[in-house]
Amino acid sequence: MKLIRTLAIVLTLWLTAITLLHGGLNLDWFAKKSGTGKEQTFGVGFLPVTCHLTCPVTHFINKNMEGREMFEPMRFSGWPELAEMFLTRPKEMPATFLLAPMAISLREKGERIKIVHLGHRDGSAVMVHKDSGIFQTRDLRGKTIAVPGRFSNQRLIIYRELKKAGLTFDDVRIIDMPPPDMPAALSVRAVDAITSGEPFMGQSELDGYGRVLWQAKDVWPGFISCVLAVNEDAIRDQRADIQKLVNGIAASGKWIDQSMEHRRDAAKFVSKNYYNQNSRLLEFALSKPPDRVTYSRLAPLKADFEEIVQLGKEAGMLQGTVKFEDYVDDTFAPDPATVKPQAFEVKE
Amino acid sequence: MSVRPYSPVMQGRNFSIASVLLPLGVAVLFLAAWHLAVKGSGRDIMPAPWQVVLGIGELQRNGLLVPYVTASLFRVSWGFIIAVLVGVPFGLLLGWFRPAFMAFNPFVQALRPISPIAWIPLAILWFGVKDIAPIFLIFLASVFPITVSVMAAVQNIQSVYVRAARNFGLSGLSLFRRVVFPAVLPQIITALRIALGIAWLVLVAAEMLAVTSGLGYLIHDARNAGKRYDLVVSGMVLIGAIGLILDLLVRRLEKFDEVRWGYGQR
Repeated sequence: MKLIRTLAIVLTLWLTAITLLHGGLNLDWFAKKSGTGKEQTFGVGFLPVTCHLTCPVTHFINKNMEGREMFEPMRFSGWPELAEMFLTRPKEMPATFLLAPMAISLREKGERIKIVHLGHRDGSAVMVHKDSGIFQTRDLRGKTIAVPGRFSNQRLIIYRELKKAGLTFDDVRIIDMPPPDMPAALSVRAVDAITSGEPFMGQSELDGYGRVLWQAKDVWPGFISCVLAVNEDAIRDQRADIQKLVNGIAASGKWIDQSMEHRRDAAKFVSKNYYNQNSRLLEFALSKPPDRVTYSRLAPLKADFEEIVQLGKEAGMLQGTVKFEDYVDDTFAPDPATVKPQAFEVKE
Repeated sequence: MSVRPYSPVMQGRNFSIASVLLPLGVAVLFLAAWHLAVKGSGRDIMPAPWQVVLGIGELQRNGLLVPYVTASLFRVSWGFIIAVLVGVPFGLLLGWFRPAFMAFNPFVQALRPISPIAWIPLAILWFGVKDIAPIFLIFLASVFPITVSVMAAVQNIQSVYVRAARNFGLSGLSLFRRVVFPAVLPQIITALRIALGIAWLVLVAAEMLAVTSGLGYLIHDARNAGKRYDLVVSGMVLIGAIGLILDLLVRRLEKFDEVRWGYGQR
């Protein structure tokens, strides 16, 4: 049959051509292999937010200083896919940056994961529209607030502030929204307030329609949104890898905090090579003010997490059935006082 | 004598001029309305048409346009072709053998309405986040429409064909190969055309997985990039334009004699 034969030939040629083209353009099939062959690396999940900045910074500095990749940074577009990959394929992606309450909640549900380090401190804000009449937490009564997810620490910080103002979740309407959609939602006033990690809060400020109601650092100093979570099998079998990753993150965090110049450099190379965002946006989030998000004190401390669990219980997010020692393994984290910043400068 | 699949009114010269002018007119009207709506809104969040063109230009300058289009075509091609290789034989089987139909039809009908987005967690579980997972989602989205259409085509075959063929002594596989399959081929082509549209439609959902290339990825990536809605719409425009080209290509299949007779009947 002419039709079938023609189809078979055309489709075979097409599949071959498109596969080779895809392999060449997107998968580096034909690139010359550099270095001493392929080494065994492991994936570390992250999203393009400043809470996860130490992931690409560690990768970039390591690659530039040692000439090889310590791990494969795996970028996701949203929390659900990231969490699914982390939980179902720990061999490929044994470690990931994850929302702190989400990590604790997963542990409560019996997942064999542990928090080994923090990713950042502070770096969240609640933004309202500049023309709104919301000037203090009390004004949020009856308003709609967008948060990144049910198990986000931003939801907890809202709860904490409402409580201080004598309000509860019943007095406001909380909705889940992916952070990338938040600035647009605020600009058309589809919601009254938004809260997530940077740079999406900074974006609404930069674009002129967002006003800071409060920064996390001002109402909850040392606020933790995201942590580095690791599968227990990897903790058992890949201790050296995980230790190297944690050391890298601690030293990269110190490096970011070392000078404004480093922050600007990080904004540039991360936005270009990892986040695909406007570097001006990332620079804004990392510099206005300079302590909007910080990366120096990243060892997990019991008091911080117990406060999160206590608030999570009150807010109905967590059960409180697991102890700090269950969901945290703090044996990897170096003492922040002794961590030296990476000895790295970006060459122009 | 060849029979054209179009009505006589649209034939000849009128047909060719109208076929260019009418869609062009609609496109111009649409772009004008879009432009005015953006200007009238007084906001700069939604991009105007020319900003989208600039966005596509930027993709080209950054060397992303061709790799992204290639990546998407790669995933859709594999997902769709595997769906055809599975769906057509399976549909023929279900249409021809009553017990197979009774056994599998409820199963097929139950799986058919499930959105590929619902399959994302399972796709990650089974295939991780490299190319196979999106291909699997595209396969799932297109295999059921193909199966169901082919099955229906076989069940609705004119019984006079089968009876005549039996009178000529055909039976079993040769009856199937020489009468049943040619009889349903026009409907199979129509089914493939619709299914290819669906395969292309689920691209954005399929590329929600952590692949780092493709037009669907472009849309997710542009959302993450902060206020790059020009690139979001660029991705939409490119998906639409390529979808149109794919449809035109599949319609070329209707020109083959094996298919064309089916349209003459209508």
